[in-house]
Amino acid sequence: MTAPTTATSTERSGFDLALGEEQELVRRTAREFAREKVLPRAAEIDEHKKVPRELVDEMGALGFMGIFVPERYGGAGLDRLAYVLAVEEINRACASTGVILCSHASLAVAPILRWGTEAQRQRWLPAMARGERIGCFALSEPASGSDAAAMRASARRDGDDWVLDGTKNFITNGSIADVCVVFAQTDASLRHRGIAAFVVEKGTPGFSVGKLERKLGIRGSDTAQLVFEGCRVPAANMLGAVGEGFRIALSTLDGGRISIAAQAVGIARACLEDALAYAKEREAFGTKIAELQGIQWMLADMATEVDAARLLTWRAATLEDAGEDHVLAAAEAKLFASDVAVKAARDCVQIFGGYGYLQDFPAERHYRDAKITEIYEGTSEIMKLVISEQMLKEQA
Amino acid sequence: MKFLVCLKQVPDSTVRVKVGGDRRSIAAEGITWSISPYDEYAIELALERKDADASTVVSVVTVGPARSRDALRQALAMGCDDATLVTSEADLSALDVAKALAAVVNEAKPDVVLCGKQASDDDQGLVGPALAEALGWPHVGMLTKLVPGASGLELWREVEGGHEVWSAAPPVVALVHKSEKEPRYPSLPGIMKAKRKEIPEKDLASCGVTPGAPRPEVALMDLPPQRGQGKVWKLDGDAKGVAEQVAKALREEAKVV
Repeated sequence: MTAPTTATSTERSGFDLALGEEQELVRRTAREFAREKVLPRAAEIDEHKKVPRELVDEMGALGFMGIFVPERYGGAGLDRLAYVLAVEEINRACASTGVILCSHASLAVAPILRWGTEAQRQRWLPAMARGERIGCFALSEPASGSDAAAMRASARRDGDDWVLDGTKNFITNGSIADVCVVFAQTDASLRHRGIAAFVVEKGTPGFSVGKLERKLGIRGSDTAQLVFEGCRVPAANMLGAVGEGFRIALSTLDGGRISIAAQAVGIARACLEDALAYAKEREAFGTKIAELQGIQWMLADMATEVDAARLLTWRAATLEDAGEDHVLAAAEAKLFASDVAVKAARDCVQIFGGYGYLQDFPAERHYRDAKITEIYEGTSEIMKLVISEQMLKEQA
Repeated sequence: MKFLVCLKQVPDSTVRVKVGGDRRSIAAEGITWSISPYDEYAIELALERKDADASTVVSVVTVGPARSRDALRQALAMGCDDATLVTSEADLSALDVAKALAAVVNEAKPDVVLCGKQASDDDQGLVGPALAEALGWPHVGMLTKLVPGASGLELWREVEGGHEVWSAAPPVVALVHKSEKEPRYPSLPGIMKAKRKEIPEKDLASCGVTPGAPRPEVALMDLPPQRGQGKVWKLDGDAKGVAEQVAKALREEAKVV
């Protein structure tokens, strides 16, 4: 089954055949849902800086929030390739709505699924898979972003509990999340070997949401500061063991990068489709501007790059599905796709001309939304570090 | 209660249709296929009965080429219980389709057969009534609502300016115009459940159908002529003056009043 067509051609190439019947149906469902339910609200979401909860609930009811959670934990039991198909479609409509899904699934559901004990999975995953409880991932701090090992948030053992103190910054879904995967240092002298991961539930005494950030783009997604003051967490809430936290964080981000790459592909496709539609309508010099070569070249680059970014993203997801090393593939996909999104957004605004600069048209929103994909879940510079490290490791 | 929904796979409404080289059919390449919209409403109406009463069984059937399996799979993912595909690569007449469906109905023995009131590709609206005729069952058209009633089923149908409520004791064929709610999306868990379901396949011969019923032939297919360019007037003056100028332009230039 093929979904309604888009402006790019990857899906119609030979690679299309690699998608299974259920993946095609997921793409089709996600595309129709995004076009009918999300896209009409995207401008309002951006303006009011809020994704309506009922939209998240609808994503939950359809199974998007638990898309790769196995059926025994209440999920849909699909693979990561199906997940990136869905992520592209939702983000094509609205990046603010899309990132709620990305952060919840890749950064909170995924580590609990991979690193949680059976009891922990049973405890948290079913409600998260239904989208009734939203997840977030709290790693960054005011003074440590890319250098995550320099974190200051601390965890001190006290009887059967751990006591968390510190502040986490830039936490996507921070204020709406019910289940937070939080990283804290158990012994600063051990640096990254002292880090542990905890699941902290909303309402735990000592855990509060601080200020909400005002942002350039993805304004409908909430980005919050989380504050831990003598926050007592049962030892049963630790994911993995003491000292495994850093590994959990990095491996989670490897997966997360694939979803951000898919988000970037979605944003870039929005740029391409909107610019193409506009260029076919807008007239200048007695012709549709789509007939002008200067515009055609921009559109041709956008189409080619969207396809290339999508292929890198699909490859990374396919490797993850196969249980193979996907660190390099994920970093390449995110580096390239985010660059493509930013460039496509720039050209989209340019094709819209003066109208591209106005809030009445979607181009300026894409322009603001695209930029974050080069920053969060590992900046482009960190992606290059990862890629070169992987290359050098292979050379050694 | 047992429902059987008959559906047809048609070009998706977002597809820009092109006329084929023979000028008697549409070009098949690049088409995205979907369940015909009225059939989706029929599925929704049946699934709403299933939502209300879990013992309800909703089956789907289509007569069409092998690609129609995708449409059945989508119906299963929406929540239908089982599906049957009657394959025919050839384009069949409405009567032959109705006969094949009648064979499936006689085997499945549903209480209610729902069809979309017409398919969105050829818009003929023949198969539903022909199926009722072939079965010897009553049929009600323009259905918008379906509720259990004292004497079987209450069938709400849209009529000019309002609605009529008919009652019918099953078995009955009803042709669906619309559902109150938009047809549901397949859920992702539904997609995975649908993946595991077998879709049995039958051919026309096993339905006792030898194609050849009389049918109209398409003589020529053509796209509507391109519309001419619009014209923009800049009108000045008060409302009355502008209205007069518009009326004059509509009478003398557009010649529509």
